[in-house]
Amino acid sequence: MIYGFTGKILYVDLTAGRLHTETIDETAYRLYPGGRALAAYLLLKHMPAGVDPLGPDNVLILANGLLTGAPFSTATRFTAAARSPLTGAYGESEAGGFWGPELKMAGWEAIVVTGQAATPVYLSIQDDRAELRDARHLWGREPEEAQAIIRDELGDKLTRILQIGLGGENLVRFAALTNELRHFNGRTGMGAVMGSKRLKAVAVRGSNRYLGIARDPQSIADLGKRLAKRVKQHPQSWDLQDKGTPGLTAGLNTAGILPTRNFHTGEFEGVDNLRWEAYEQEILTARRSCYACAVRCKREVTVNDRYQVSSEYGGPEYEAVAGFGSNCMVDDLQAVAKANELCNRYTLDAISTSSAIAFAMECFEHELIGPDETGGLELRFGNAEAMVRCVEMIARREHIGNLLAEGTRRAAEVIGDDAPYFAMQIKGQELPMHDPRGKVGLGLGYAVSETGADHLTAFHDPMVANPESLSFKGAIPLGVREALPPRDLSRKKVELYALLENWSSMERAVGLCYFGPTPRSFIAVDEVVDAVRAATGWDVTVEELLRIGERATNLARIFNVREGLSRADDTLPQRLFEPLESGALAGVAYPKDDFARALTELYEVKGWDPQTTMPTREKLAALGIEWAADLAG
Amino acid sequence: MQVHLGGHLSFYDAERRSWVEWPDAAPLTLRGLAERLGLPAGEIAFVAVNRRLAALDDLARPGDRVEFFPPMGGG
Repeated sequence: MIYGFTGKILYVDLTAGRLHTETIDETAYRLYPGGRALAAYLLLKHMPAGVDPLGPDNVLILANGLLTGAPFSTATRFTAAARSPLTGAYGESEAGGFWGPELKMAGWEAIVVTGQAATPVYLSIQDDRAELRDARHLWGREPEEAQAIIRDELGDKLTRILQIGLGGENLVRFAALTNELRHFNGRTGMGAVMGSKRLKAVAVRGSNRYLGIARDPQSIADLGKRLAKRVKQHPQSWDLQDKGTPGLTAGLNTAGILPTRNFHTGEFEGVDNLRWEAYEQEILTARRSCYACAVRCKREVTVNDRYQVSSEYGGPEYEAVAGFGSNCMVDDLQAVAKANELCNRYTLDAISTSSAIAFAMECFEHELIGPDETGGLELRFGNAEAMVRCVEMIARREHIGNLLAEGTRRAAEVIGDDAPYFAMQIKGQELPMHDPRGKVGLGLGYAVSETGADHLTAFHDPMVANPESLSFKGAIPLGVREALPPRDLSRKKVELYALLENWSSMERAVGLCYFGPTPRSFIAVDEVVDAVRAATGWDVTVEELLRIGERATNLARIFNVREGLSRADDTLPQRLFEPLESGALAGVAYPKDDFARALTELYEVKGWDPQTTMPTREKLAALGIEWAADLAG
Repeated sequence: MQVHLGGHLSFYDAERRSWVEWPDAAPLTLRGLAERLGLPAGEIAFVAVNRRLAALDDLARPGDRVEFFPPMGGG
């Protein structure tokens, strides 16, 4: 008898229109217990190197974590993974919401999508039954409309729907997936992969309960009650409920690391119009949740003024507030909300979209592009209307939008001149809205992340900078011993980074949200260990959980080495090695010499070759994945 | 003076306020102000006075705008 998972994986061959089921046994699942771990394993198992990311040979994995759907706060996440059309590297993105838990209730751990349908289809799953259905009538429809039609066709208003909008259909290389209109697998272009396969949606309905498969359901239920009560009693989770991520804006501005004018500076003079108090007063209409999560960090906004913004598509997270706000020099929160709503409506990643527009604004101001390319738009920093219009152009691939839809790295190569210098990207993926010049460990994470720049790869330095802080104390059971300043890039910081990267990777494997476990939030290390034990009956330790995270990262790294990536791709944009122009960190640059040394040290700590970055055989043996040693040739 | 309790620091105010009107009186250090507001020292990552970073030993004066912030992670 196995507990906590079913082992069932649904294989969908869109070219042949065939579906079949395979199972993963407990021994393998304990090595790759869902999410990014299972996705990376399945990708390496099923896909050769060098496939066209937008062709039929790419493989799209949708994988739940071990704990996805367990009835306690933040156990909601699932992974979408494939070769990224944005980076050409390992692509992966997690989302919360309701779709992953519903897939678990239907009895599936993962879906492996191969091939390419001749005409648009959608996949319908109701418990054991799965079928492909015609979606030609859904192609081109917005998510809200497509969702209503699918539910009507299936005769079930509670069917959970994962889908793509116009951005995915038009193969925008940073297109997202959305579930329930408000939850997104935003990064690395998984929406474009789904669009290339002409798979419009995956509708899921399950009738099982997670507690029905758990080894110790009472402990899981007790944890759920305990955490629901704690949310309002713990400062970090209370803050996520009260303000959500938009609560970060003012503080990061004061600290001098709020990306502004395409990362020229870290302080925005219009910040008072973007900060949480303005958000709450001007656009907030509700706080929303993911499945069984008491944190309720999701925002819902409505605007009926200078712009019309529908509440159906949620509300901007911090990343969108900074991306469309300070980084585009727009201090109109309504315009920011509209740009975000359009991203959600068209299923575009808000980080990459806003960064691509900031890049285009800088190109425009340097006359590398002009009105001929922008369709007459004066695409300058601070032009809110042009920014909003540019989101439409990207989704529809009109004018400059057609080029920006290829991602800033490709767009910069076409524009030429100084444009590559203006492209704030790593491995082709645009930077999130946290300036590493004030958080240097985070910068190391941006550089080495297998998916390109990502702010959830590991940790943010301030969380472990004060030994008296809740976040530092929370991380002690992981082996964190010494608090280090945010701009420290010593060997100790490198080791700290590697440790917390494994923890973060584990979260994304087992299906926990970044806003659940310590050090970011309110769930203790031993509670995570106990939850896995209660779900499965396994005698896991924190060390085993950290190895799960490390194993997943090593598989993703092998994927990249196999695709020809190496140390040269683990870098930062040149602009970050130059000083910030103003704000609290005026004159401060990312330490270039320290970066090179820290990178070498990190590979050493990880057990990777310092040039190819390939994990050593000894490392792979220690992680129980010797089979992967020869994949990269 | 106007005092901002950024991020989860407003949790420590009995009314969960983000902004607190502190009665103008004699100058006091920012550390002293934080203590009187009930803010745990371990949760203060940085503080600004009139929009510029300050040290906890600096003085806050009547009429100042003071902003305390906790360690800020991602999201």
